[in-house]
Amino acid sequence: MLCQNCQQREAVVHLTKIINGQAAQLHLCQECAQKAPGTGFNLYPGMVSDFLQALFGVNPAGQYDQTIVDSQPGKCPGCGRTFSQIQQAGKMGCSKCYDEFEPQMEMLLRRIHGRGMHVGKVPVRRGASFRNKQEIVKLKEQLLELVKAEKFEEAAILRDRIKEMENTVGGESK
Amino acid sequence: MTYRELLAKDSFWMKDTPDIPIVLSSRIRLARNIADNPFPHVMTHDDAEKIEAQISGVLDGFTAEGEKLVYIPLKMLIPVEKKVLIEKHLVSPGFNETEYARGLALSESHKIAVMVNEEDHLRVQVLMPGNSLREAWHLAGLVDDHLEAHLDIAYKEKIGYLTTCPTNVGTGLRVSVMVHLPALVLTNQVQQVLGALTSLGLAVRGLYGEGSRPFGNIFQISNQVTLGKSEEDTLTHLDAVTRQLMEREVQMREVIRKESPLIVEDKVWRARGTLENVRILETEEIYSLLSEDRLGIDMGILSRVSAGFVSVLINSMQGCLQYNLNKQLDAYHINAERANFVRGIYHHKMSENVN
Repeated sequence: MLCQNCQQREAVVHLTKIINGQAAQLHLCQECAQKAPGTGFNLYPGMVSDFLQALFGVNPAGQYDQTIVDSQPGKCPGCGRTFSQIQQAGKMGCSKCYDEFEPQMEMLLRRIHGRGMHVGKVPVRRGASFRNKQEIVKLKEQLLELVKAEKFEEAAILRDRIKEMENTVGGESK
Repeated sequence: MTYRELLAKDSFWMKDTPDIPIVLSSRIRLARNIADNPFPHVMTHDDAEKIEAQISGVLDGFTAEGEKLVYIPLKMLIPVEKKVLIEKHLVSPGFNETEYARGLALSESHKIAVMVNEEDHLRVQVLMPGNSLREAWHLAGLVDDHLEAHLDIAYKEKIGYLTTCPTNVGTGLRVSVMVHLPALVLTNQVQQVLGALTSLGLAVRGLYGEGSRPFGNIFQISNQVTLGKSEEDTLTHLDAVTRQLMEREVQMREVIRKESPLIVEDKVWRARGTLENVRILETEEIYSLLSEDRLGIDMGILSRVSAGFVSVLINSMQGCLQYNLNKQLDAYHINAERANFVRGIYHHKMSENVN
C-alpha cells in the first residue's frame, strides 16, 4: 500500500483516529508520518505520558515504531472503560481490564518490561495451586521427551502422575 | 501520640550513618490493589470511601517488628503537615492533590508508610537510612503478607500483581537508593557513570523523584522493570550497582585528595564558614553548602556536627521549618529562619568541640 500523503513510498504507519466516534484510517510512510500534524501521539513523544511513549514510542535507535494497534471497541466488564480510554489515561481502570484487553496488554507489557511473564512473589493463598501448575507444565515437557525416546512404560507412569496432580489442583488447570 | 508529635519528629531514615557515607537511604515500594474494584483514578467517592475503610481497618494498629501503624486520613491534616509528609518522603508529591478518602498508615519511626488510594489502592513503602535494602525488603514483606491475608489482592498468574499503571505490573516493586556523589560531580564523571545506569534498566532522579533536579549532588537510583524479574534479582541488581557507585565515588575522593588537596580543603572550609555565619539562606544554596560540608566531614577534613546531613537538609525545607517553629512565614523570613536553624546546629558543634 502506498502512503496516502506522498503516494510515493510504502505506507508503514497505520493510524486509526477516532473523531467524534467515527474511525478514520490513515496509512502513511515513515517520513510523512513524522511530519504530519495531529496524526497521533507517537509523533510527539514529549507531549504524552511515559506509558504511551513506551507503548508507541521511540525505540533506542530513534526510529518510530511503525504500526499501531487499532483501538478495540470492547468495554471492560469491571469498570466500563474502553481500550482507547486506557491508552489516553495511560492507566488501567481496574484489575479486570487486564483480562479484557489481554492481547493488547501482552504486547504493551513486553514493550515496557522486555518480558511478558511474571517471575517472583506469589500470593500465599494462590501459591499452592500455582506452584503445582508450574510443576505440571514441567512434567508435561518431560512426558513429551519420554514419548519421543519411546520410553512408553515410564511415560505411562508419568502421565498418571500428571493426571493425579491435575485432579488435586481442583480442575484449575486449563 | 498526637499527629503533631508523630509528624514533627525526624524520620528514622534521616538518621546519619557515618559508616556508610555515600548511600544516604534505601527504599522499598510495593504497588498493590484490591481485586475487582475500580482503580483510584476512576473511583467514585463511594468506591473510594469503601476501599479506604476496608484498608484502614486492616492497617490501623498492625505491628511488624515493633513498628505499629497508625492510620491518618489526609483530611485530618493541615496544609503544612501535608508538606512535611512530602518533604520527609512519606507521601508522594502528588498525594495531596485531593484529600478525598486518601490517607497514610504510618509507623512511629516512619520506617513504614502505606499510602491509601494514591495511584494504586495501596502503596507500601519502607524507608531506612544507609544501605539497607535487605532489611527494608524484609519489613515490606511483612506488611505485604498481612495485607494479603486480609484483602483480596489483584493478581494474575501470568503477569503478577496488577497495578493502575502497566509500568508497575509484575512484582509491583520499586527499589531505590539515595546516593550522595559530590566527587563524581566535581570531577565531571557523574553524567557518564549515571548514564550507564540507564542502559542497565535503572532510572536516575533527583531528591524529590520524577522531574526533580539533582540538587546537592544527591541522586535516586531505582529499577524500572517489574515484570519478568524476581524481587530477589531486582534487589541484587540494584545492590550491585550501588556498590559500584560507592566504589567509584570513593576512588574519585581519593583522586581529588591526592591531586588537588588545597582546592578541596578550600571548598569544604568555605561551606563550613558560611553555614556557621550565614544570615539569609535559600533552598538551592543550602543543598550545595551541606553537600560540600558533608564531603569535608566524610574526608576527615571537617569535624562532625550535632545533626546529620539528611536531617539538617530535610528540616530546613519550607514545610518542616515552619512546622518545627510552629509559625507561618513568608519567603524572606523562611530564608532568615533557615539560616538561624543551620547556624544553631553548626554553633552547637563548635561549643562541643571546645569543651
